[in-house]
Amino acid sequence: MAVTAGGIGDSRRVEGLGLADTARHAWAALLLGWRVESNWADPVLFAIYTVIRPVSSMLLLTMMVAIVGGSADASSRTFVILGSALWAMLVSGLAGPAWSVLEDRERYRTLKYLYTSGATLLVLLVGRGGSRLLIGAMGSLVAILVAVALLGLRIDPAAVDWPLLLAAMLLGLPPVLALGIGLAAVCLQTRQESWNYPDAFSGAMFLVSGVVFPLAVLPRPLEALGLLNPVTWWVAGVRRAIIPGGPSSIGGAGSLWTAVTGTDAPGPAVILGALFLTGAVTTLVATALFRGSERRARDQGLLDRTTGS
Amino acid sequence: MSAPHSREPAAGGTPRAMTPAERRRAPDPRAAADWTARQTAETNLRALVGRAYPRVRGMFREPSWLFFEIFLPFLGTSAYVLVYRALRAPEAYVGFVVLGGALSAFWLNVVWSMAGQLYWEKSQGNLELYFAAPMSLMSVLLGMAAGGLAMSSTRAVAVLAISALVYAVPFHVAQWWLVAAVFALTLTALYGLGMMLASLFLLWGREAWHLTNVMVEPVYFVSGLNFPVGRLGAVGIAAIATIPFAVGLDAMRQLAFPGSGLLTGTPTPEAEALILVAMTVLFSVAAHWSMGVIERMARSRGSLSIRWQ
Repeated sequence: MAVTAGGIGDSRRVEGLGLADTARHAWAALLLGWRVESNWADPVLFAIYTVIRPVSSMLLLTMMVAIVGGSADASSRTFVILGSALWAMLVSGLAGPAWSVLEDRERYRTLKYLYTSGATLLVLLVGRGGSRLLIGAMGSLVAILVAVALLGLRIDPAAVDWPLLLAAMLLGLPPVLALGIGLAAVCLQTRQESWNYPDAFSGAMFLVSGVVFPLAVLPRPLEALGLLNPVTWWVAGVRRAIIPGGPSSIGGAGSLWTAVTGTDAPGPAVILGALFLTGAVTTLVATALFRGSERRARDQGLLDRTTGS
Repeated sequence: MSAPHSREPAAGGTPRAMTPAERRRAPDPRAAADWTARQTAETNLRALVGRAYPRVRGMFREPSWLFFEIFLPFLGTSAYVLVYRALRAPEAYVGFVVLGGALSAFWLNVVWSMAGQLYWEKSQGNLELYFAAPMSLMSVLLGMAAGGLAMSSTRAVAVLAISALVYAVPFHVAQWWLVAAVFALTLTALYGLGMMLASLFLLWGREAWHLTNVMVEPVYFVSGLNFPVGRLGAVGIAAIATIPFAVGLDAMRQLAFPGSGLLTGTPTPEAEALILVAMTVLFSVAAHWSMGVIERMARSRGSLSIRWQ
């Protein structure tokens, strides 16, 4: 029988791992994730749900700054508000793949079927995580708008460094998803109780990312760990792009950065370079971790395990 | 002849204890179904212990729990401590954050492992078994609460102890008996609320899953997780009147940091203890009533307890 390209008997159809197939699978997973996340409520309720968490987090931190009063100046307030608004996106990106594993395995019990589909589990989880990241991005955007409208956050669109913002987003979001994939690798091995793990992990990341306070506040080993964290550079890049000239979360008096480099704060090029490097390493490590976890889950029969407590 | 409270196995082995149903010999099924108060109480107690068992036992079967539920939440609490340190806030605020971080373990447990649990059991197919079993569903809810309490107490004690040591939090407790009473009342009110929400969330179906998500950060904000709730004015007072986490946290702060002068605008700890008593009674009665409604609906409609309905 003659074998035609793309026809019956073409081994490439069975493998299905070409770039186009991978993109198609990721897109399908993203759409699936969006529908799962959004079709449980009418659009208005869904919009409220999407923004209520990031806005509440932001208000919590804003209240902390407001209570301290005189000792916190306007720049500290801006620093905290912007960082906490951005955090919603990060939490969604971290939690997305891990929750997809738990939902599909324990709640919908479809993980084993998804696993045997043509798409790889990694691509499916990137797609599902991507949809949650999108929802988180919507929450962050609305939180920033609320901060501008109600909390006195001043953003001058003409002063925003749009190319830096775009570059920071493009370079920063893949490592955020990669961290989520790393958490998904952990959740493949653990039980239903792992629902809290992404929140716990993001809480810990909050400490070493310079989101709401400069890294210089941390002890030196933790500060060094923060500098190896791609989220630190992503937040620094976005913050610098939106509020050029604002306080840096990385450099400044007493910081490790200033002690080592002698500069007050890293410039845009350095931020993007560091983001690319730390992001690439994080993505590679997370992918390797996931591959190992996936292999073990398949060997140990964890893909269709359900637990309860 | 076998002992009156044991039954010999079919082929050798040790005799096993008779169940309450076996213990009372009856001439016909109708008479057998007519249980004494003791039989009912024993069965409910066994159900309570049986439901608490997997939660307590599960703690020892998932070692990753220690890292994700104790170490990482400590880091998350540390992040908020450092926010205040970066803002050069008075040291008393560090104590507020540490106490809030410890008590939040119970709120998270109520939200994730109580409020959403019956819906989760339904998804897993266990709920039908609960309705069919000859026991009160309240004993299942109490078992869930008891097991959850063991899990979250471990986290709360660890976060409190480690944070208090690392950040040298100065507790000045003068009324230990009142602290113990307020703590116990906070837990009973919290888990009473959890039992009530478990029934409601079951009725709301898929939305319940998302409701658990929005009950974290918004409640943290209005309850003053990291700052004195009295600073929220009318919103804080409303939280104290309705949310056990808010009133319990404020009372504990007033008792642990009596001379700080920062906790104003809220009732005295004694008055807040009375509010907690009222909440405990209200939520427990409401939980009992709503569980009765749910049980009747499950039996009459036949679909409430079935997966995907």
